Amino acid sequence: MVLITGPLYSGKRAYACQLLGCGPEELEGRAVWEVQTLAAHCGDLEGLADRLARYEAVLITEIGGGVVPADPEERAGREAAGRLGCLLAQRAERVIRVFCGLPMVLKDGGAWD
Amino acid sequence: MFTLVVGGAASGKSGYAEELLLSSPCPPRFYLATMEPLDEGCRARIARHRRMRAGKGFETVERFTNLAGLRLAARGSVLLECLGNLAANELYSPAGAGDRALEALVAGVEALLAQSDTLIVVSNEVFTGGSSYKGNTGAYLSLLACANRALARRADRVCEIVCGLPVYYKGGPA
Repeated sequence: MVLITGPLYSGKRAYACQLLGCGPEELEGRAVWEVQTLAAHCGDLEGLADRLARYEAVLITEIGGGVVPADPEERAGREAAGRLGCLLAQRAERVIRVFCGLPMVLKDGGAWD
Repeated sequence: MFTLVVGGAASGKSGYAEELLLSSPCPPRFYLATMEPLDEGCRARIARHRRMRAGKGFETVERFTNLAGLRLAARGSVLLECLGNLAANELYSPAGAGDRALEALVAGVEALLAQSDTLIVVSNEVFTGGSSYKGNTGAYLSLLACANRALARRADRVCEIVCGLPVYYKGGPA
């Protein structure tokens, strides 16, 4: 599995299509995106990460960069999203960050941790 | 040579971009300022940046919208600071391009490229704080992200500034 991370609207899906050599329609079966939204209210982040790691590519948007949200629910969701990103990166053979549409390899060739 | 410099608030992106402009071999060196002096806060920021630039020999040009219509007095080097401001002006100012803001930004940068040998564009990293903003901030985020990606495709070099240090995503330090 390749984990593709990056800021909002940074071009992650376009990059995933390029990487997998497919169009946006085919991407649906092979990749999953906006997985940070699945982390909130998820009792078992490890299990979620295991399930997501079966896809060829997993796309996550970085949302932990702003001020800590005052709302407890938002705060917990943001925390869980960050943790999910770490768990996915452990499971990924490759981790790529897309910034302004440009990829940077953060992890390459590592076996499953 | 076209360099896109992106960074968060107070990341040191202005200082780095000014260094790039100073080291450019092609004078005159234009500093293209985009902040409209709308209130006291803006005026204080503008004054701070003017002090930072003092003595560096830059020629300051102010432009708030319609960058494509700007004609520089001579061919040389240009530092545009910053795309985040210009995007807000095009989107929200009465004189701005509104729905056609992205086209205006890209055409503006193309016009600068045609008039300069060295171009440095400073832009903002505001995309890791989630998307649950009030009002139409989402439209602004989307506009600036699209503009950043379009310029990153066009640029020879793209870097993110972290604690004053450049991380290059395309090209590399000269």
